[in-house]
Amino acid sequence: MDRNPPRRDMRRVYDHDEGNGYTADQQSLRLRRFPSQMSNQNYPQFAWGSNPADEEPSGGLPQDLRSSPLPMALKRAVRQVQEMQLPVVSERDSWKRKRTKYLRNLKDNAREFIYIFALWNKSLQKIGGNFGGGVQSYFFFLRFLVVLNFVSFSLIAAFVFIPSIVFRSVGDSGVNITVQESFLPPSTGPQDCLQYDPNPVGLGLFYNYFLDVLSGTGFLEYSYLFYGYYSNTEMDDSFSYNIPLAYLLTVVFYFIFCFICIMARMGIAARVAVATGGSTVGNYSKIVFTSWDYGCLGDRATKLKQKNIHYRLQVDLEEENIKKRKASLTLTQKVMLYSLRVLMFLITSGLIAAAGYGIFEATNFSQGRSEQEGVLGLIFEYLPSIVITTANFLVPLLCDQIALIERYSPSLTVILALLRAVVLRLVSLSVLIFTLWGQITCDGNKNHGDCLLCGYNHDLYPCWETRVGQEMYKLTLFDLLINIAMLFLVEFPRRMVVDNWSNKLAQKVGRQEFVVSSNVLELVYSQTVVWTGALFCPLLPFINTIKFVILFYTKKLTLFQNCRPALKTFRSTASTFFFLVVLLFGGGLATAVMVYSLAVIHPSYGCGPFRFFPSMWSVVPASFSNLSKTTQEFLFFIGSQAFSIPLFVLICVVMCYFVALASVYGKSVALLKKQLKQEGRDKQFLVRQIEELSRKLQIPTHAAGVRD
Amino acid sequence: MGNKQTIFTDEQLDAYQDCTFFTRKEILRLHGRYHELAPHLVPMDYTNDPDCKLPLALIVNMPELKENPFRNRIVESFSEDGMGNLSFNEFVDMFSVLSEMAPRELKAIYAFKIYDFNVDNYLCKEDLEKTLNKLTKEELTPEEVELVCEKTIEEADLDGDNKLSYADFENMITRAPDFLSTFHIRI
Repeated sequence: MDRNPPRRDMRRVYDHDEGNGYTADQQSLRLRRFPSQMSNQNYPQFAWGSNPADEEPSGGLPQDLRSSPLPMALKRAVRQVQEMQLPVVSERDSWKRKRTKYLRNLKDNAREFIYIFALWNKSLQKIGGNFGGGVQSYFFFLRFLVVLNFVSFSLIAAFVFIPSIVFRSVGDSGVNITVQESFLPPSTGPQDCLQYDPNPVGLGLFYNYFLDVLSGTGFLEYSYLFYGYYSNTEMDDSFSYNIPLAYLLTVVFYFIFCFICIMARMGIAARVAVATGGSTVGNYSKIVFTSWDYGCLGDRATKLKQKNIHYRLQVDLEEENIKKRKASLTLTQKVMLYSLRVLMFLITSGLIAAAGYGIFEATNFSQGRSEQEGVLGLIFEYLPSIVITTANFLVPLLCDQIALIERYSPSLTVILALLRAVVLRLVSLSVLIFTLWGQITCDGNKNHGDCLLCGYNHDLYPCWETRVGQEMYKLTLFDLLINIAMLFLVEFPRRMVVDNWSNKLAQKVGRQEFVVSSNVLELVYSQTVVWTGALFCPLLPFINTIKFVILFYTKKLTLFQNCRPALKTFRSTASTFFFLVVLLFGGGLATAVMVYSLAVIHPSYGCGPFRFFPSMWSVVPASFSNLSKTTQEFLFFIGSQAFSIPLFVLICVVMCYFVALASVYGKSVALLKKQLKQEGRDKQFLVRQIEELSRKLQIPTHAAGVRD
Repeated sequence: MGNKQTIFTDEQLDAYQDCTFFTRKEILRLHGRYHELAPHLVPMDYTNDPDCKLPLALIVNMPELKENPFRNRIVESFSEDGMGNLSFNEFVDMFSVLSEMAPRELKAIYAFKIYDFNVDNYLCKEDLEKTLNKLTKEELTPEEVELVCEKTIEEADLDGDNKLSYADFENMITRAPDFLSTFHIRI
């Protein structure tokens, strides 16, 4: 406001083009009267001077108004002015504006509509308000997995499950696929390979049924749950539907679909991570200005949030101290510290290897004792799961203690702990699968005694796919049971003890914390198990959907009833990206298993839709010959070098372009930052010059507020 | 369209829709919330733009704002007179900026206003100290407060004048990924 009078003196331009008789500056002054803060040049200005109609009236105008920092009354005035100008602008532009408005309304309505259908929105909001972004990101991740599993199950149901039901109920009107003679098992040997006799469904005790449900044997073994029940029929009368082909392609497509979903979600998270540059500078300012969650609800949550911020600041200050101390270590101390760290690294690797060996032994033992009955048999069946769960519980505990000796900085400690847990989970699953593989294929040796006849160990595994499916089913089920058991046997009692027993030890142990990282790793592990088992147990995604829904409610219950919010928070944006990366690793493992089973191992002769094929994949070339000639030629062309090499080169060129673009943007951002710094210094220099000059010449200057 | 609401004219609702990030339904709901803060003061009929302002004390009692340590500054930043008296326009404006659809630049502008306690368009050391004390409920020792303020200014100040101008603040905000999700009130 105080700068406007000098301006009016300097400019004596009368502009009669304004229709209402005011001069240009008087006009801008009149309209500029409202917010006094805006006259300061430091404040971001709305370009009032430029006539909005002069600029290209693209659809961006309504957006600009919403995002402009004017007070509401001013915004409505601007909008009125715009509306009044509507007859003046051309018809094409007014049509454009109306169209943008309509599209925006449509988008808003669609957003509201989808919001109603999105699962659990209110619960997530409550969780976020009370426990913060880190815990909320876990539940978002869980919801994403539920939706992913459900959609993929509907895929499998539509293409494999329902047609199989239809075909079975219609009767044996379908014909078995005719296969070449060479695919049949060698007729010289006994027809042992074809023998597959799951326990016949008879009247059993309820107790037996219960055991069968838990271990996937008995009446469940020869059912739609597992691979062995699906037949290799092919309808041929009114339309042709090739079940084996459908089975294979559905599973492959399921993997691709999951992969695309995860990449899409990662893209959103990665964009944020890239935009912020991932710089470690700015910790304190970030905490001070962006750590307070304005959506925090409730008195208890705000008190905790304050404690949390306090803690974070203290951690940062402590890290500074640690850095200072580290810089002041002598050489011998440094050498000792590093050698200690190497030793600890070896110890942790040894622990993980020991866990892997334990799982190996347990799996071998369990597979060897598969004929045990009753509860003991159940325990033997579940032995690999038990060992995996115990290892995944104990080893991180031990690694935490080891981390105390290593004395890394706090943030590095957290990252290392996470990495170790991830490696442990993936290693345990790989060892289990590897052991199974070793037993099924006699360690890859096709000419070994048991595997000589059929290409796989038909003695132990008349239907090996069902067996692998059963293992994955057991893992999934055991995980769910353990979670529920922990809820009732550990967490509720712990809360009751802490709340009612005012012993010092109980208070020190305290209520449980909801540790986001280990919970997320559990989810990733479950999902990896489901992916690995999807080929062998088509209904596993459905079971997993139900399991995750149950998990959501139990975790929510335990969160609100038993947990106190963690003092150390988990950064939500960086962590989402990290969860998805770990999920991709698990997906990679499952894909490797699937590809190997498809391409290398001989399918069982006695069961399943792929019997009599040398490998599961060979059903595709076999049905290839049924396609029309032109389709075949087209597909051959796509697979040939004439097409794929130019395509590959084109993709490389496009990638190089994007990499170059990204580096150019990065360079221009760095340049602009330097410019900003430079301008500030120039400003200060000029001000100092002015002051010096004025002092020398003793000219009274304006007040020190002049900062141009 | 079928809803026989008589609070606003259609034209007014259109104007609100264009100027904020809310839909018609949300604006009507906001009016309901504004009305229940002071039922005898706020008229139900806004068709002729009544000039009704609610004082600061009433607004900061809303459950969404009650526990926020910056509630007074938030309401003051959006009020025209700077004293915290909000008319319905400003009320809607406030929640529009704090909604999840508002872009980062808009939120940064208002965040700067909120943290600028002495309204001099710079975040000087006193502003930072006040912010920090409100954040941690004065649990840090004065030396720690001093240290953190120094480090903050050191990190974010680009032009070297020992206080943060808007450009410094905005530059620092663009590097903070959590800003959009924390500077958000759902109503």
